[in-house]
Amino acid sequence: MATLWTLQQLHYSPSFARKDSAKQLGCRIVATFYYSGNCWKRTSACKTHRKFVLRAYSHPPPVKSSGDGGGAEFDNDNKSVVPAVPDEAIMVNCNNNEYPQQKPKRPHEDMPQSLVFKLQATVASLPPVIFSMKRHFSASFTLGLCAAATLLLFVMRSYASRKSNHSRPGSVADLVRRGQLRSDRRGISTPLKYDDPFNNPMVKVGKSNSTVEMCGRVYKLAPVTLTKEQQAIHQKRRSRAYQWKRPQVFLKEGDSIPPDVDPDTVRWIPANHPFATTASDIDEDLAQNNVYQKHGVPFRIKAEHEALQKKLEALQNEQKLDKLVIDAGAAKDFERPFKSPLKAEDQIVDKGPLNGQMGSKQPNSDPVHKSHRSASEEMQNP
Amino acid sequence: MISLQPLTNPKASALYSSSLIPPNPFFHSLKTLKPPTPYLKPFPRIQSILQYNRKPQLAGETPRVVVITSGKGGVGKTTTTANVGLSLARLGFSVVAIDADVGLRNLDLLLGLENRVNYTVVEVLNGDCRLDQALVRDKRWSNFELLCISKPRSKLPIGFGGKALTWLVEALKDREEGAPDFILIDCPAGIDAGFITAITPANEAVLVTTPDITSLRDADRVTGLLECDGIRDIKMIVNRVRTDMIRGEDMMSVLDVQEMLGLALLGVIPEDAEVIRSTNRGYPLVLNKPPTLAGLAFEQAAWRLVEQDSMQAVMVEEEPKKRGWFSFFGG
Repeated sequence: MATLWTLQQLHYSPSFARKDSAKQLGCRIVATFYYSGNCWKRTSACKTHRKFVLRAYSHPPPVKSSGDGGGAEFDNDNKSVVPAVPDEAIMVNCNNNEYPQQKPKRPHEDMPQSLVFKLQATVASLPPVIFSMKRHFSASFTLGLCAAATLLLFVMRSYASRKSNHSRPGSVADLVRRGQLRSDRRGISTPLKYDDPFNNPMVKVGKSNSTVEMCGRVYKLAPVTLTKEQQAIHQKRRSRAYQWKRPQVFLKEGDSIPPDVDPDTVRWIPANHPFATTASDIDEDLAQNNVYQKHGVPFRIKAEHEALQKKLEALQNEQKLDKLVIDAGAAKDFERPFKSPLKAEDQIVDKGPLNGQMGSKQPNSDPVHKSHRSASEEMQNP
Repeated sequence: MISLQPLTNPKASALYSSSLIPPNPFFHSLKTLKPPTPYLKPFPRIQSILQYNRKPQLAGETPRVVVITSGKGGVGKTTTTANVGLSLARLGFSVVAIDADVGLRNLDLLLGLENRVNYTVVEVLNGDCRLDQALVRDKRWSNFELLCISKPRSKLPIGFGGKALTWLVEALKDREEGAPDFILIDCPAGIDAGFITAITPANEAVLVTTPDITSLRDADRVTGLLECDGIRDIKMIVNRVRTDMIRGEDMMSVLDVQEMLGLALLGVIPEDAEVIRSTNRGYPLVLNKPPTLAGLAFEQAAWRLVEQDSMQAVMVEEEPKKRGWFSFFGG
């Protein structure tokens, strides 16, 4: 990126000299590591350092030149880009500590002259820098703009990341923000109880006792004028208007009224009533007992449990019987060679209902079949 | 509606003694705590109807079985049940709310307990569960319990539906932890079998109505049926009252409603948009913070229900609030 002119002038800057020493030190460290570690993969990194070092040192004062190839090349060819230097040359420099930059530090006697020289060089370098700035104003402006944009982007990203960290992904607030959770939780939300139901500051009585202030609004009060007599008059009116007897019997439409029931107290429930039914699979006494039950297993749960128990027992019995039947069949199989083939086929057909496939043709004489059928009936009517 | 200052406060006691509080003319109860009345002024007088600064004295025998009914649908029975029930629980009384709306139950939704209803009365009757398993305890106020009578798709055997509720009340009386102070029954709309079932075990009724003629006609009819059934203690709550419409004579006033029905007033609930919000949230109004106007009115109605009291003064008109000198500057 550096222009040729800057390459020429760089070594005169004292600040750059300090940088050079740092880079040199870095290069030295890298080179040392390179040799001690015998790690060939680090070659490229070391090369990079060396190139940089070469650029920094590529124009030492001619007097201090140690005669290495890099410096000579740069002196000879100022207008060209610094060529890559072979590794060996740099390595020699590193090992022998013969960097050109180290040499200017040693002669303390040349300090005033070098300072003057540097000052002159600095002064001489300034106008061309400005000139170059002016000359490359658009490029610098673009560069600055890019840098500012990058900085802005970085700041925004860091701000966004900090904000996202602050919202804690997965928290309730985050879930509400993403629409996964409703903000107002129902049912088990924490109670919002205002302080004391017996000391409500939202209701204030006016001084004249004819106004009241509730929630910041003032209302006039009017006395209630309803008297007991008026109330009794209304009750009489209603009792005349609405002759009603509470229904005592609920019947399905189409049913006949029992003889001892007042027809006025019958409530007719249509068969397709949406929520009421006259039919109930449970009798009244049992329902009352169920309501009054305080402890223990509820009635139906108990009944279902017992029914399941019976089923299980029946199934276990059935399995035992099946085993017996299979044994009997096996015995018959053993007997088969002693009977005619036609008779054997009949026996096979008869054997079917034993496995529950043809129940209607089952002869009643077989005790095994009898027990099997009784078990299945128990299952249907527990 | 007036709230008294604390009794311990000398200022308040002065107000209390001079605020002319006669005993309730309609419902006398020995258990109801009535403040002393040194002297009485002739009418018109405005009674202080609510004392927030003390716990209300429970009047009547427990459990008080109160059916909340209306006749017409959509006037706010379920809202009233939820809010009065939770207000009673907040006041320290144990409450069991029974949703007797067989076909269209909504009380569980209003209370936000819809996910916790597993068993209902139908299951109890069938022996699928015990009664204590069907009671849903509210976690916000543990002395409030909900009991639904049936699931939306199940049918109630109406042959002993009314008897079943009576059994329930008896069973709740005999509970080991003691009988509840209040059993509130949310009655379904109409005068069908559900209504008959719901009013069976009730000793007193709260009639919810709105100040419009359709609601009033149904309310009058239902009141007649309740009286025929032997329920004499009937009070009404006038819901969705708009003072601005009353002022413009576009709505009947509460006093007009009372004149038409001839019932004692338990409460006047102003129209409040917060009702819909709280319904949707499953969070009753009376638990809102800050309290809303309707929530306060429900709380006062609950207070009166405990003491078997009724309103002696109603809000009729809204006055502009007097502002100070610095109100221009927001003071």
